[in-house]
Amino acid sequence: MADPTDPAAPPGGAARTAQAPSALTRRRLLSLGAAGLAGGAASLLSGCATPGTTSVNTQPTIPAAGEPVRLQYWAWLKDLQKVCDVWNAQRPDIQVEAVWIPGGNSGGYQKLFAASAAGGSPDLAQVEFRSIPEFMLVNALVDLSRYGVDQYADRYNKALWQQVSYVDGVYGIPQDSGPMALYYRPDLLQRVGAEPPATWDEWAELAAEVRKIGAYLDVFAVSDASGFCAYATQAGATWFAVDGDHWTVNMTDEATLNTAAFFDKAIDRGLVSTAFTLFSPPWYAAAANNQIAGAVTASWGDALIESVSGGAGKWKVAPMPLWQNGSQTTGYGSSFIGGSTAAVMADSKHPKEAMEFAVWMTTSRAGIDAMIANSGIGWSPTDSYIGATRQQPSEFFSGQNYNEDVFVKMATEQNPDWQWWPLTTQSFNILADAFRRKGGSYTLVDAVRDAEGQIIEAFRNKGLSIERRGSSS
Amino acid sequence: MTAPSAPEQTAARRTDGQPAAANKMTEGVRSSPASTIVVTGLLVVVALYFLVPIYWVFVAATKSTDDLFATNGFWFSSDFALWSNLSQVLTFDNGIFLRWFLNSVIYAGLGALLATYFAAAGGYALAKYNFRGRNFVFGTILAGVLVPGTAIALPLFLLFANLGLTNTYFSVLIPSLVSPFGLFLCRIYADATVSSSLMEAARIDGASELRIFHTVGLRVMTPALVTVFLFQLVGIWNNYFLPLVMLSDTNLYPITLGLNNWRSQVDRLPEFYELTTGGVLLSVIPLGIAMIVLQRYWRGGLTEGAVKG
Amino acid sequence: MTSSVPRAEPPTVADAIEVGAAKAKRGANKQVRRAPWLLLAPFMVLFLLTFVLPILAAIGSSFTKVTRKGVFGELGVETTFAGFSNYTQAFADGTLAKSLGRMLLFGVVQVPVMIVLCTVLALMLESASARWPGFFRAVYFMPYGVPGVIATILWSFLYVPGLSPLVGLFDKLGVQIDFLGEGTVLWSIANIVTWTYTGYNMMIIVAQLKSIPGDIYEAARVDGASTWRIARTIQLPLIRPALVLTTVFSIIGTLQLFAEAQLLQSFAPSITNTYTPNLAAYTTAFAYNDYNVAAAQSVIIALIAFVLSFVFLTLTSRRQR
Repeated sequence: MADPTDPAAPPGGAARTAQAPSALTRRRLLSLGAAGLAGGAASLLSGCATPGTTSVNTQPTIPAAGEPVRLQYWAWLKDLQKVCDVWNAQRPDIQVEAVWIPGGNSGGYQKLFAASAAGGSPDLAQVEFRSIPEFMLVNALVDLSRYGVDQYADRYNKALWQQVSYVDGVYGIPQDSGPMALYYRPDLLQRVGAEPPATWDEWAELAAEVRKIGAYLDVFAVSDASGFCAYATQAGATWFAVDGDHWTVNMTDEATLNTAAFFDKAIDRGLVSTAFTLFSPPWYAAAANNQIAGAVTASWGDALIESVSGGAGKWKVAPMPLWQNGSQTTGYGSSFIGGSTAAVMADSKHPKEAMEFAVWMTTSRAGIDAMIANSGIGWSPTDSYIGATRQQPSEFFSGQNYNEDVFVKMATEQNPDWQWWPLTTQSFNILADAFRRKGGSYTLVDAVRDAEGQIIEAFRNKGLSIERRGSSS
Repeated sequence: MTAPSAPEQTAARRTDGQPAAANKMTEGVRSSPASTIVVTGLLVVVALYFLVPIYWVFVAATKSTDDLFATNGFWFSSDFALWSNLSQVLTFDNGIFLRWFLNSVIYAGLGALLATYFAAAGGYALAKYNFRGRNFVFGTILAGVLVPGTAIALPLFLLFANLGLTNTYFSVLIPSLVSPFGLFLCRIYADATVSSSLMEAARIDGASELRIFHTVGLRVMTPALVTVFLFQLVGIWNNYFLPLVMLSDTNLYPITLGLNNWRSQVDRLPEFYELTTGGVLLSVIPLGIAMIVLQRYWRGGLTEGAVKG
Repeated sequence: MTSSVPRAEPPTVADAIEVGAAKAKRGANKQVRRAPWLLLAPFMVLFLLTFVLPILAAIGSSFTKVTRKGVFGELGVETTFAGFSNYTQAFADGTLAKSLGRMLLFGVVQVPVMIVLCTVLALMLESASARWPGFFRAVYFMPYGVPGVIATILWSFLYVPGLSPLVGLFDKLGVQIDFLGEGTVLWSIANIVTWTYTGYNMMIIVAQLKSIPGDIYEAARVDGASTWRIARTIQLPLIRPALVLTTVFSIIGTLQLFAEAQLLQSFAPSITNTYTPNLAAYTTAFAYNDYNVAAAQSVIIALIAFVLSFVFLTLTSRRQR
């Protein structure tokens, strides 16, 4: 590669008058090029070209600026700027600008990771609970316990605070959650003479009845493992845990395998559709055609169900069906699906101010109400206030006061031991790839077993220590 | 090239609308009516295939989101919402759509212009000078033609990240300035058309080498340059992977990324259907027209190149 | 178009001698020696920065490995030489190989279909039987100006059940068609690519056809050759170079597939995050944050494109001789 760089050596005759203009442009070009090449070569040689390998949390904390600052918050919430403006009006010293990014793994995280790798991440970013450890792994998040976040801990739902706390640190401010329940169409259920099911076994019976009138009681996503994961969590599974200096994993405990076997049967009997996913365009089309009789999903699903064409007054909400062991119910009343935090990013110049804003947004009445009104945010992370509009009955949901009647209870009946891990996205992709193979003799149970092995392998490839916990099955 | 006789050529031009596009096959030949019907019929069917998506998006852009799902996609609904949809597209988020469009124009226009100039200079140098390392340089660049651009985008991102260039106009513009294929075309064309004796005559007149390139070389190479420019223009305009990897600030987005940004919101916010279909329509119309107008200039240089045509 | 080009004579031996003579002249000598490098400099600098360096960087980083100790790497992060472990890891779970196989299948079917289609269209347009060839040419070429992303958005709306009038139309005819199903979605992508690039490839072939001198046709017609015979014996052999190049570009394009698959993902559950090789590399880099394995995947993609194009070019040029 020596030849092409030859012109970098200034030739002797550069001062020739006839050439003056071109020599000038050339020289500028050369110096530009040389700078680029030198920079590139330096970064090559430095050997630390792999991003995300140094931690901001070992450096001194950044004190409050003491002068007006501007913050950026990257999130996929609708009209978030209007929420920021409520804050901006009362706090001229901390002005927050909202930047929309695509939701989580459909492009938002890729952008955040790319920005982090390039050293240009925003002050705040919307990061789902399940993705916090992934961002921690590449040193993209600020440990807020170093900025005194612990004083706010008692304002938040305990289970959620647990999901942002890792190894003596706190890495995000809980922003919303998604306790699950059963949305259903009372009119379609009535046609088969049924009430909403209290247990999953009843659910399966009902699903078979509903098929006879050409409708599905639910869909099962083989392309997205988060639904399955939530069902298993409800049944009492805890896939990952930290044990001292290493991870432990058990994805093949009784709760998980029973859940897998249950949905194996549901798919084999054709009780659920696997052709499309919840809230995708074909789902909306089917729902508008009275072919969807129900959906077990999070509290934030209400806004999405409200956009079903012609659905007003036709839907209601019931508690999530329970798992049973014989005649005994097991597991928990509900499960969280989705839910996100406002995380302070490692490149922020003003972590303390960013934290202050995030706490206001998620715990103050003004903040929560603005988030609901503008962004249609999920379930409030503070147990003491669910938001003014959510205390009212809903016309769309048949006049039911479903938030207070159902979701308040669902939010407290959660699996407190569940913990996320640093390879969630990859793990969910591995699971989904395995689920897609479902069919013939290959079952979801097989898929979970196969996926567990691959996930352990992926942990080891990253150099992380992981051990299998003894399986009960 | 043996030109057809003058009257015939004018006739061809009149029916065809193509300057100098004399169809040598058709000259003096009367085809049977049956084969005309069959061939033209087939062409119509194929044309329908190419036009159906465009027609659909036009119809869709006239509908509200409710009607989009509730009415036949190939016909208009009673509520004609085209103008409100389009004004929504143009005003949404402080007119960000226009900004994306402008960004695309900057990336593609400026990028293609400079890339063409650089490729012309390089191709001319490789064609008209004998120097040590010439074959090595040309071989290396030729290899560049064959490496998929997207395979380079990722390592380029890491490199630019180290240089602090990501998420700037430059991060998309700089890689767009290099067109190995353009250089390849220019070399072939310069080889075939730029006369060495003309260069020598200019040299004797005392012109510098750079001046010779600008006065003799560029002028003769113009038809090839137009092709290289258009090729690069469309290439940059259509690029998605590079800006996707490089840019995170929506204000820097080209139109491709911007529209996908809207489209990816329809799952949660169905009102984005109106924005997406309207935006697609608005972005397709100028390009469609540009393609129809530019297609006649497309061929210059392609036929001279031994390989390309 | 070619007729408008003032054609100068090709360089001759005399020219070369003249150049040699010019070199002998003092003063001009140094300038002539420096000139090509001067002219090449801007291109070469940019080429080095955006092609050579990234490729070298990718190769370098594909041989290193980041190891994190502890639960989150809090016990230390090490960058070490990895040998070929990133490459074995890239192939280990079989997804990259599967996506390469998928693209091979795609290429084997889509590329010939498109090349045949654009050749037939070009021949029909240039035949005596076509009415309004200028109009059709413009219509066919137009999709090339529609970026792949936008073409995919367009077609995705025509694929989605409930939104697409096509699905509804087929349904009425009693055909249940799922454009986004596991077995069909690859061909739905192939359709988008064909829609976008057929017109472009056709234009290259049309350009080549137009450069065939008229007297060749005349001679053939005097011999009483049919249209079909002219196409087979005169036109096809003469547009061969154009066909070779469009094929090479289509092969490279196939390996580059990204936007179509990535965008359709939200409608088609069967598209995995490793559906195409490029999507796999993108996912590895920006969803799994494994830049080293992603670099290895990029190198593999580039190598395969290089080898395939090279083999194809060698095969076709040998047969030509």
